[in-house]
Amino acid sequence: MKRRAFVTGKAIICALGDTLREIVDAARHKRIRLSQIPFTLASLPYTKPYYLIQRKEGDAPDNRSDAYFYDILFSTVSRALLDAGVNNEEIEDMHVFFGSTSMDVPIFEGNHHKTSASVSGMFLQSSNGYGKIAGAIVERFGIGGNCYSFATACTSSANALLYAAAMIEERHIERALVVGYDLYNNLGFYGCEALKSLAAEEYRPFDRMRDGLILGEACGAVVLEGRRRNADDFMYLGGANICDTYSVTSHDEEGSAVAETMNRALRKAGLRPEDIDAVKAHATGTENNDRTECAAMKVTFGCSVPPVTCVKPFIGHTVGACGVNELILFTESIKEGFVPSTPGFREADKDLHVTPLMENMEAGKGIFMLNYFGFGGNCTTLILSNKDAPG
Amino acid sequence: MNEMYIHSASTFIAEAHTDTNYLKEEIRRYTKENFRRVNKFILLTILGARQCINTHALDADTAIYLTTEHGNLGETADVLDEIYEVNSLPKPFGFINTMSSTAAFYLAQNLGVRGRNITVSSQHLSFERGLELLKVDFAGGVERSALIGGVDEASLSEASLEGCAGRSWRMIDGSGWLYVTPEREGAGGAFTEIRSFRDGPSCVRWMSEREISAADVVAFGARIGDEEAASLRDILQPAAEFDYLREYGYSGSATACGISMFVKLYQGKTLLHINRDQRGNYAVIELQQF
Repeated sequence: MKRRAFVTGKAIICALGDTLREIVDAARHKRIRLSQIPFTLASLPYTKPYYLIQRKEGDAPDNRSDAYFYDILFSTVSRALLDAGVNNEEIEDMHVFFGSTSMDVPIFEGNHHKTSASVSGMFLQSSNGYGKIAGAIVERFGIGGNCYSFATACTSSANALLYAAAMIEERHIERALVVGYDLYNNLGFYGCEALKSLAAEEYRPFDRMRDGLILGEACGAVVLEGRRRNADDFMYLGGANICDTYSVTSHDEEGSAVAETMNRALRKAGLRPEDIDAVKAHATGTENNDRTECAAMKVTFGCSVPPVTCVKPFIGHTVGACGVNELILFTESIKEGFVPSTPGFREADKDLHVTPLMENMEAGKGIFMLNYFGFGGNCTTLILSNKDAPG
Repeated sequence: MNEMYIHSASTFIAEAHTDTNYLKEEIRRYTKENFRRVNKFILLTILGARQCINTHALDADTAIYLTTEHGNLGETADVLDEIYEVNSLPKPFGFINTMSSTAAFYLAQNLGVRGRNITVSSQHLSFERGLELLKVDFAGGVERSALIGGVDEASLSEASLEGCAGRSWRMIDGSGWLYVTPEREGAGGAFTEIRSFRDGPSCVRWMSEREISAADVVAFGARIGDEEAASLRDILQPAAEFDYLREYGYSGSATACGISMFVKLYQGKTLLHINRDQRGNYAVIELQQF
């Protein structure tokens, strides 16, 4: 017999801070912390904004090492386990679902400063595969279960969560640790600049004047279990993943594949579109993503699109990690009584027909849709609720 | 165990550093599409999977599960060199293709399918973990047909073979694929066990206590050492052993290649494949051919 999966523990380190309280407080008051990063290696005469973790001076990207990488990771996981209140036996019983775009590339880039070897040489000689980071987590915390590392670009950790929940629902496992982690790396920053995807100054998804995305770094971790520990734990209701084969870099602007993903998630959850109380959009701020996503919402919801929020302007686009990071930011804000507004949004794009929340919206119990899309046509929708579990 | 029937399988292996033009030529035997701006990892993915599908008509919702240890190893190194050695921005498509999920995308696009599209990895047990995801999707009724494969370029990494002391194989490029559905009709075999164990003794206990007859053939993954293989042979008493690593070489996706090769080579036989990771977690796959 199937059962539900619940988010019983969570923690995040991002540009807004490293405690849930300060992060939600920043979201409530639309406070953001944006840094500027130069393209020194390519000798380009300008900088681009980035949402950097800034805990202490040593956090600057140039000073980082593998120790820094694992410090952020282990600190986040440790606090998520503590938040869930799992005991040692329950930790040992866990399975790890990890999602990232950059995987261990920041480690090789960080170590580059300490050796004469080239980054690519270190990468080729020392890479222990995509599973390395999840392997480090289980070793550090004495977790005995299996590891699954998802590499589906910007949907990586959303897919990690989708499968962790499905395995709990199907009773294949009892509990899971789901981690989304992408740290600053030149590969991603320079790569996105090469694609001309980076915004010049301000993050403005869905805005008429949007001009691209702003990357961010963050580590988020959630504990999923087959039972609620606290009355306000969010419950996973369903999800879907499909491949939009339109283009490797963009989605079909009519939004058919994206809408199909939302509709499949609704069917999986046994819901109708009108049951959704609010949508966390993927909202990268790029021309194609926003056009596609809004078209898809019109297909799925018709004239009654629920309130929509875009949370990337708070922490940046944390690429493969955004699945878990944005889920935490969104659901923790709801627990505090509000759906966050979209900072940076000022002027509606009449072609999109969707205006995101410009002020925080009061929120209580409800059902919420979270959308994630990525390069390689990957589309993932998750549906969560903080209502009482049926039965 | 939920039904997971194997309808076709294929393996493509090549010596390390195979030329991409050769791969493109091979792909032309299966599709007219001309692949541009793609790298070796993508070509290996398409070639192995197209060989597997060949003339099968696929449902539009067919899912793709690409398992890999290292993903786009070569192109990631090239893009890092563009940034750190050439001191320039990377080429756009080079950067995009560092994301290994692009391989499963190009495959889905070529095949015209838009089911689930997952790229997953797990140190030394990537293919086994991919099968577990497929199993949960079939169990939940989410998918009704799937292509599952393992793809890796030959790795120069010494770390990737850490723990395989005393055993060495030649490095190869590998792409092994199986087409799987929950329907028995038309199938040539089935996965009858996909099981994980937290340690060796639990795995041995399960094998010893099984009431069903022994497998015809056993195969061991890269991290099962000679001594351990010998003691497992004593327990299992197989009629034969398929040492695909010695015969064909090693890639990060050796398990996927070995299993898909078994389907082709051992008609009517049963295989028990035993593997472990660096922590000592074990995974067993049992496959029965009709």
